[in-house]
Amino acid sequence: MNSLLISKRFIFTVVITSLSIYLVFLLNPEGALRILINLLTFAGIYGLSAIGLNVHFGWTGLLNFGHASFMGMGAYVTLLLMPHAAGREGEVTTTGLPIIIAVFVGIAAAALFGLLLGLPAIRLRGDYLAIVTIAAAEIFRLLVRDLESITGGVYGIISYTENLQKFRPEFINSLSLSYEFAPSQAWVGIIAWVSIILTLFLLKRLNSSPWGRALRAVREDEDAVRAMGKNAVWLKLQSFMLGAGIAGLSGVLLAFNYGSLETTVFVPLLTFYVWAIMILGGVGSLTGPIFGSIIFWVIISETDRLAYIFFENANGQQLAGFRFLLVGLLIMLLMIFRPSGLLGKKEELLLDVK
Amino acid sequence: MLDQLGNGLLLGIIISVASVALSLLYGVTRIVNFAHGEIIALGAIATLFFSSPIDYRILFLDKFSPLGLNFALSCILAVIVCGLFGGLLELILFRPLRKGNVGNIAVLVVTIGLSIFIRHLYLLFATGKVQNFPLELQRRQTYLFFDMTPRNLKVLIIGILVMILIGLLLTYTKLGKAMRAVRDSEELSSVSGINSDNIILITWISSSMLAGLAGVFQATINDVRWNMGFLILLLIFAGTVLGGIGTSFGAMVGGLIIGILVQVSVGLPFMEGHTEAKNAVALGIMIVILLFRPQGIFGQKERIS
Repeated sequence: MNSLLISKRFIFTVVITSLSIYLVFLLNPEGALRILINLLTFAGIYGLSAIGLNVHFGWTGLLNFGHASFMGMGAYVTLLLMPHAAGREGEVTTTGLPIIIAVFVGIAAAALFGLLLGLPAIRLRGDYLAIVTIAAAEIFRLLVRDLESITGGVYGIISYTENLQKFRPEFINSLSLSYEFAPSQAWVGIIAWVSIILTLFLLKRLNSSPWGRALRAVREDEDAVRAMGKNAVWLKLQSFMLGAGIAGLSGVLLAFNYGSLETTVFVPLLTFYVWAIMILGGVGSLTGPIFGSIIFWVIISETDRLAYIFFENANGQQLAGFRFLLVGLLIMLLMIFRPSGLLGKKEELLLDVK
Repeated sequence: MLDQLGNGLLLGIIISVASVALSLLYGVTRIVNFAHGEIIALGAIATLFFSSPIDYRILFLDKFSPLGLNFALSCILAVIVCGLFGGLLELILFRPLRKGNVGNIAVLVVTIGLSIFIRHLYLLFATGKVQNFPLELQRRQTYLFFDMTPRNLKVLIIGILVMILIGLLLTYTKLGKAMRAVRDSEELSSVSGINSDNIILITWISSSMLAGLAGVFQATINDVRWNMGFLILLLIFAGTVLGGIGTSFGAMVGGLIIGILVQVSVGLPFMEGHTEAKNAVALGIMIVILLFRPQGIFGQKERIS
């Protein structure tokens, strides 16, 4: 009975997702494919990040509001290890690690940052953890901004995309000519979705392993886990590291998608975007964030039309403001009326902690 | 370093008033209100709307003209508006959530959504630009060993008076006692004949009025921005946590300490040329405090992990 119910919801979710993709074609008679590829690339990157957040919140019940800093850590470490240009003068660094190694170091750095943040935070109750993580993310952002000699500060990092784009397969170029989309973005999008599939396989294995069961047991009843002889604190820290590592990878992809990295990317609002996606997709659900992310980005990319209804000559600030207005409303309404989102299980939600 | 002490006191009094408000609300309702900053901004924006000259047309999509009222009157009206807004939030949003037994974490996420929503309403419909209250410029003067303008000194004194008033109110009046009773146990206080719904409503109103006052202070000393509440929110959390969340006196002291620390840290030797990172110092201190003394300076030891 239960599995039947879930599969019905799954079908419903797939239908909704397909409809929202169809909506893009409906609303954009011209250049729909280009818009769709842009949207799916963002959806893949944010979806990956939301999967990481889900390991924190959905699996382990950790209230992490500093997700943007994990993404940022991954992105900055990776980019700085590869050939790039940074800072006010655009100082060029020509030597560096191969991209594969740089990305792995970046992911490891994000995971270590998760451990570092997790060590003090793990002992705290839910709402304190929220405050600590958001504060730590803000410290990270301020430091990145301030340590200009290392990170390029407000001037950011540029000229690093070639590290990834030189591996772009030829077929993307030829397809992009006939369908008119940006080949570099499509390549980032493909990598993002491949990463999602690999991550999901990994998580699926972990989820059904003894480790995954112990993790969920931590969420349900920490004392019971301790009584069974498991180290609950270490389990939580491992979860923190795993989720942060996944976020780090998505941060790297986000940087490649933007083409230049600025400190304004990893702001608290990025964290809230990812939260909205996770809640929409379903807290604790493995595949939920993917669908949540696609639907979310369709909403985001088509709201500009709505904004033009309210403001005749909407400027960039108004368009962005309108988008965030809807994100806030979405988070609020979902949490009030449907906290389990599209695919989450209500009984797995950890929301009534006192 | 000492020349920053005056600025530190001013920032301290803003954070202090706002922290007391946040702490009061948390103490009674157990809500960590991320939308607190938006009520602060409402105080400033409402004052701007009431007090700006009638022909001043930057605000409100050029469609509404400001009212051009007397400045002191505008501040009082703005604080009242904030109180009404807080009461409205409780009545239409948070009371139904409480009755529906929605968990604390869910309510926390709701306040985050609310905060993003309201903040961008300000951006869209109130003010996208940095603005100032219609007040004449004043020269800084030296009082004891602080440098500040006469107006900012007035802000400081009003702030201290308000805090003393709040302290007396909480300690000695029937309402204050009822608030503390509801904080300790909603059920027990209901049994002893306290209408906890009313107490929570009054808490929301008074917390929001204090937040609005903090917003008026912030805008008088600095300026009005659509995201001013969010910019200061983390410092308010720091002040609240430092003093011990849920304790009003702790929040007063914690807020002052954080404000002074933030401004004075600009003068530290290793901070030279890194003024942007001054908030990081305060936030770092907050994390360290949580690590070693999670109940804060004045908080009681309860279960916090």
